[in-house]
Amino acid sequence: MKEKLDKELMALVMKKHRPALEELYDRHIKLIYGFIFKFTNGNAEKTKEIVQLVFLKLWTTKSSYNSEKGHFVSWLLTVTRNVCVDYVRKDSVHIRNNKHMDMSHPIDIEDPNNDIENGLLHSEIANAKSKLSKPQKRLIDLLYWKGYSLTEIAKIENEPIGTIKSRLHQSLKLLKKHLEVGGL
Amino acid sequence: MNTECANLLSFLSGELGEKEKKAFAEHLVQCSECTREYEQMTEAWNSLKWDFEEIEPSSSLKSEVMNFVFETDDEVPVRKEKNWSIYFFRQFTPVTSGLLLAVLVLVFVLLYSNIQLKKELAAINLPMEVKTALSLQPADKTAVNKNTDGAAYILQQGEERRLIVQIQNLPSLQESEVYQVWLLKDGKRTNAGTFKPDEAGTGSLTYKLSIKDKFNQIGITREPDSNSTKPRGEKIVGSS
Repeated sequence: MKEKLDKELMALVMKKHRPALEELYDRHIKLIYGFIFKFTNGNAEKTKEIVQLVFLKLWTTKSSYNSEKGHFVSWLLTVTRNVCVDYVRKDSVHIRNNKHMDMSHPIDIEDPNNDIENGLLHSEIANAKSKLSKPQKRLIDLLYWKGYSLTEIAKIENEPIGTIKSRLHQSLKLLKKHLEVGGL
Repeated sequence: MNTECANLLSFLSGELGEKEKKAFAEHLVQCSECTREYEQMTEAWNSLKWDFEEIEPSSSLKSEVMNFVFETDDEVPVRKEKNWSIYFFRQFTPVTSGLLLAVLVLVFVLLYSNIQLKKELAAINLPMEVKTALSLQPADKTAVNKNTDGAAYILQQGEERRLIVQIQNLPSLQESEVYQVWLLKDGKRTNAGTFKPDEAGTGSLTYKLSIKDKFNQIGITREPDSNSTKPRGEKIVGSS
């Protein structure tokens, strides 16, 4: 099991081979756990629930991984984020709607990884993200790390959807620019 | 630039419904501007996923996750069946159940009355004929009932056979006493019912014969009550 490639393990998982799923867990749990931990804003209980759902999804999924979908780990994180988004959408539609009613309290985004002074920024993306303006960063966090839709964000920010879209457009362009610079 | 181009960012963030998603994917192939934009945006969007720190969870998490996965997966077929039955029973609201019941009752009533009507019509159409006529004579000509006489007929209508017994000048009976009709075949008796005559001593009885009721003689006895399974009293009249 140890010498098998990720994609070979995933092929075995599709054939309901239990040790293959356990091996994938051992290899990637730190990654998956870290991602979800950030997505749930550090809620350990929710993180555990979503980790369980991610592995259930891997075990029962009909859409197998193939290398055309990019690196396995990248695919794995995309799957993980989809489960996260489904989870928060199902779990808290009511709470979210209530939040929309109350615009006086700004939504706080905890993001320890964005704090340069903590010396926690190691990845290129974190570096590129630090170049964004506050509203741009906030938009990325709400959209990517909270699972809010663009329409919901427009409501939260009390701004037209067009403004939000053009801000996202600029944010992504800026990120790409700094990613390229960082990569040089 | 058309209206589809406006969906680029919603497509990227995975917010479009299945139909819109398909429409945009088709648009993307044709629109070079969107394709260029999409490639740029996707790269930045996909890089966002790396903006977190790896964390080592507690060692107990693995068994919790694995138990959850394999137990839930085992439950899947059961759950499907449950969902199916829930779906099935959800169709039966109080209103639909009531309507269904009412319709079923109506169907039964109509079916029953239709069958009855058909039977009646069939019975009307069939001719009734006298198959056999037996004259009944007093058993003991010297006794008080020497004037007693009567007749028995077997009427056939379709499949149905009836025995009709009519007797005049029967001696009057005590309180609980009855006359009982017996069918005789090779010394074996079958009970064909009891009757009481009127004040003038006239009595009659109609008995529906089953297919196995075969006989060649009839006897009528005077019984102390209507519970006799074999003759206990004297024979009054009989066929010769």
